Amino acid sequence: MDSSLTWTQPGPWPMATIDVPLDGADERALVEACLAGRREAFDLIVERHRRTVYQLCYRFVANHEDASDLTQDVFVRAYRGLRNFRGQSSLGTWLYRIGVNVCLNRVSARALPTEPIADRQFIDPAGDTGSDRLLREERQARVRAAIAQLPRKQRATLILRMYREMSHQEIADALGSSVGAVKANIFHALGNLRKLLGSEGL
Amino acid sequence: MHLSSEEFVDAAEGTRPEASLPHLAECDRCRRELADLRRTMAVAVDADVPEPSPLFWEGLSACIGERIDAESGGSWWQAWIRPRMLVPLSAAALLVLIVALAPQSRNARVTAPVVPAPAAAVEPSTDGGDLATDPLLTLVSDLSANLDLDSVSAAGFADPDSAEHAVTHMNTDELTALKQLLQAEMTRSGA
Repeated sequence: MDSSLTWTQPGPWPMATIDVPLDGADERALVEACLAGRREAFDLIVERHRRTVYQLCYRFVANHEDASDLTQDVFVRAYRGLRNFRGQSSLGTWLYRIGVNVCLNRVSARALPTEPIADRQFIDPAGDTGSDRLLREERQARVRAAIAQLPRKQRATLILRMYREMSHQEIADALGSSVGAVKANIFHALGNLRKLLGSEGL
Repeated sequence: MHLSSEEFVDAAEGTRPEASLPHLAECDRCRRELADLRRTMAVAVDADVPEPSPLFWEGLSACIGERIDAESGGSWWQAWIRPRMLVPLSAAALLVLIVALAPQSRNARVTAPVVPAPAAAVEPSTDGGDLATDPLLTLVSDLSANLDLDSVSAAGFADPDSAEHAVTHMNTDELTALKQLLQAEMTRSGA
């Protein structure tokens, strides 16, 4: 991959030629490079944000295959809409918003197939072994599966609050609702989660 | 009166001190509800997403790249006939027609260009291609009446990425298809 590039700034900025090494380029430079037709710049954007987007999608669907498909959809849609990125939020937040919309649009209310623990071949970052790890994984899998069964709005609200730590106002903006509705959704999501997990799940 | 859902969430998240909710001190039910909320939140936060194989990431990036390449490279012709492209495309095509017909307009008689039939609003020429009776050529003639020579000359040096450049570099089949599209569009809009 070419590690540097020269391009002419698009958009409302003055026309100027800039030399920027792509590997260390900041978000704006990468976006501008993409808009100038440099596909490798978008590859870098994908590389930097794919894990966050995948984790978001996984939390929505609780299985690897659907999460992988949704992640691809998010980035393809982001590529199409890159001209609309104004830099008012970080690129990560912008991608996260696209991710939430893609997940909300694509994920139906039906219960999704969550994968059995034995089917997963994931790396345990902690590196520990034994029954403790198995029990923890089992419990986490149950929680993820329960979250994936929540109504879509409750699910989105809970994910944005618990795992992205977005403020109530930011969530309201992202989902087109009010702060009061966001808090009500969190309350009901946690209540439903408790019911789905049962007393032994907590 | 029991706590509202907003008060529960604020208290569970710690953004509102319990001291500001005196009802909690006298209501077992609300205290239990608050404790359950906090416990459920702790369990939810603890549920990490399992880390996929390192090989997955490269495959994912490759799939995304292939989908983008397929979208951006495979359907340029479809992209051209989208409505937002049709107006500049029509203008560019008219310009090309003007350039092509300008020298011939000095002659008394011209041979009409071969125009695919179907459009209902365009009546076929009955005299073998008279300018005065062909509505398409009349329109071109009207539009080119006030065109100066510099503009016509400059049209041949369009930017390589522009619509004009693409139109002037179309092959016969593409030009035929474009003419049909333009005729249909003119018929539809009553031009």
